[in-house]
Amino acid sequence: MSFKYPVVMPKMSMTMETGELIGYHVKAGDSVKTGDVLFEVMTDKIDMEVEAPADGVIESLVAEPGAVIDIGKPVLIMLTETQIMAFDFSGDEAPVVAQPVALAVVEAPVPAPAVVLNNDVKAVPKARVEAAKRGIDLRTIQPTGPDRTIMMADINSAQADPAVRKRQAANKALIAKGIAMGREIPQSSFSRSVSTNFDHARLISSWARILRSRPDLSIRPQVGVAVIIESKYGSALPVFKDPDLMSLADLTSLISSTSSAAVNGKVPLEMLSGATTTIFDLTSYSMNAATPLLFPNQITSVTVGYESATTRNISLTIDLRYCDFYDGAQLLDALAASL
Amino acid sequence: MSDRMLTMAEAVREAMSIAFDERPEVFLLGEDVGIYGGAFGVSADMYHRYGAERVLDTPIAELGIVGAAVGAALAGMRPIVEIQFSDFTAQAMDQIANQAAKIHFMLGGALHVPMVLRTPQGSGTGAAAQHSQNLEPWFASVPGLKVVVPSNPADAKGLLLSAIDDPNPVIFLEHKLLYKIPGRDSVPVGSGRIPLGVAKVVREGKDLTIVATGIMVNKSWEVCEKLAAEGISITLIDPRTISPLDMQPVYESVEKTGRLLVVQEGPSHAGFINEVIAQMAGSSSFGSLIAPIKRLAGMNIPIPYAPQLEKAAVPQIEDIEIAARDIVKNWR
Repeated sequence: MSFKYPVVMPKMSMTMETGELIGYHVKAGDSVKTGDVLFEVMTDKIDMEVEAPADGVIESLVAEPGAVIDIGKPVLIMLTETQIMAFDFSGDEAPVVAQPVALAVVEAPVPAPAVVLNNDVKAVPKARVEAAKRGIDLRTIQPTGPDRTIMMADINSAQADPAVRKRQAANKALIAKGIAMGREIPQSSFSRSVSTNFDHARLISSWARILRSRPDLSIRPQVGVAVIIESKYGSALPVFKDPDLMSLADLTSLISSTSSAAVNGKVPLEMLSGATTTIFDLTSYSMNAATPLLFPNQITSVTVGYESATTRNISLTIDLRYCDFYDGAQLLDALAASL
Repeated sequence: MSDRMLTMAEAVREAMSIAFDERPEVFLLGEDVGIYGGAFGVSADMYHRYGAERVLDTPIAELGIVGAAVGAALAGMRPIVEIQFSDFTAQAMDQIANQAAKIHFMLGGALHVPMVLRTPQGSGTGAAAQHSQNLEPWFASVPGLKVVVPSNPADAKGLLLSAIDDPNPVIFLEHKLLYKIPGRDSVPVGSGRIPLGVAKVVREGKDLTIVATGIMVNKSWEVCEKLAAEGISITLIDPRTISPLDMQPVYESVEKTGRLLVVQEGPSHAGFINEVIAQMAGSSSFGSLIAPIKRLAGMNIPIPYAPQLEKAAVPQIEDIEIAARDIVKNWR
């Protein structure tokens, strides 16, 4: 089943509204592989190559080279066997799946969403035993284990409540959307080692206090620290607002109550927005470090990793449009000093 | 007299003394085991208590020492050989592997070689590459040898008494760093034996199974304690005898935990602990695994002299802690 998929002018910065098509790297009828360069675009800030989101064939080139195109408008159309998740850049609605009907000229009837079979199955032994026992086709299971291996958790969640699965999927899509937007931001990361004698309250409060002294690094007057928490429905991102203005004891109890609520997917509504920075603590996974990713409308992001029994690795990512290398180094230094 | 806390050196000495008292045919021979009391002081005052005929100081000639012991064993004695460092068994390997291990089988069971060869092994003392090896697989891969690796004083005592009772050769590998440390458990008085070929479930948990040998049992114990505070509960299994190997408790535990971490001091390549992995992979318990089996072992290098490098060359508590936490957190 082929889907028509429009490859659109991407949004590459928070302020971008249009982009100029410099030229094509493909012509109609070409076969392309995921990652092949399709065309180049230019904005007031950067030039970028746009890559094929899936394997397929170029059906038609829609725009003329040199044309100025609104973001989200098609540049070329490709035919693909794969269903592709598209992002809606215009608002905050949930992401939408590219619908073949949108372009009208698809083979009728409109196909039911194809189940993408994962033919290259890797699974832990117990997952194979359980799949056989429960009559599950492992090719239909989404692997979330290391090296895309199917774990028992994947088998169990495949049979979980559909409502839970729907929320998990929506959650992942939302975060993916944010990260996809953030990826285009020019950014840089710094990291350093600190000793372990701090807890979450201390970390959140210290970081908020540092950011409060830098109102130029926030799009809001308040400081909102989003903390990534693992929940039944995937990652939850409760936002602690002005945590540096609370006592450490109050903050500790708020973190604790929010975490237990978040695990069950019950983050209070007022804690779901207003983030100006994000903290991701990987310590309990013994991860040494991860490059923190910027979410839309945030200029900074911090990751804490396990380094040794007595030290942690703190990484900071900054949006270079608002914050230069010295700022970044100073911010991280200040955070380390305050811990 | 009640059970007491002893070091491994004291427990081994006590076991040898009990065997000396029980059987007149038991004797000890080795370099400096007499007046000097042994390179690590294990035989301390035995020369004075039992005399020069039963505690024999030998020349520096490992092949000769083990050859004499094999001959004595064939003639009805029960020799205990001490080789100062397990590295020096290389000198005596013909007597160990080609003679002691095979005589019983090649003569159709007509003769026995009831010899115990005790030797200190392992790194951590700053003694460099030729005095720090862990050679467990050398012995464990020779059919006809039984190989014991005690991790604590109480086991050392009971296992050594069984080794001395055994009608054929037993290699008894003692870790140098454990000689001076009292065990966690007291050592029973009396002459109680611990059978060879029976693994010990040191503690039970539900999230992970760790199989470790010798000093790694002690390091793993620390990790079990630490991770228990984080809500991770671990089963720790000490095979105690690496040949023959008792896998049953490992199978039973992995069927409950689904996760297996194996830890040894010796180099990873073709190391003993790989046998545990191989047997698990071929067993009917394989289907219980919910995570890949994780192995921690020494690096494939001669033990370095520099203290930091020596430490880095073999698994430390922190390495075990990270590996254990990762398996439990990443595989669910």
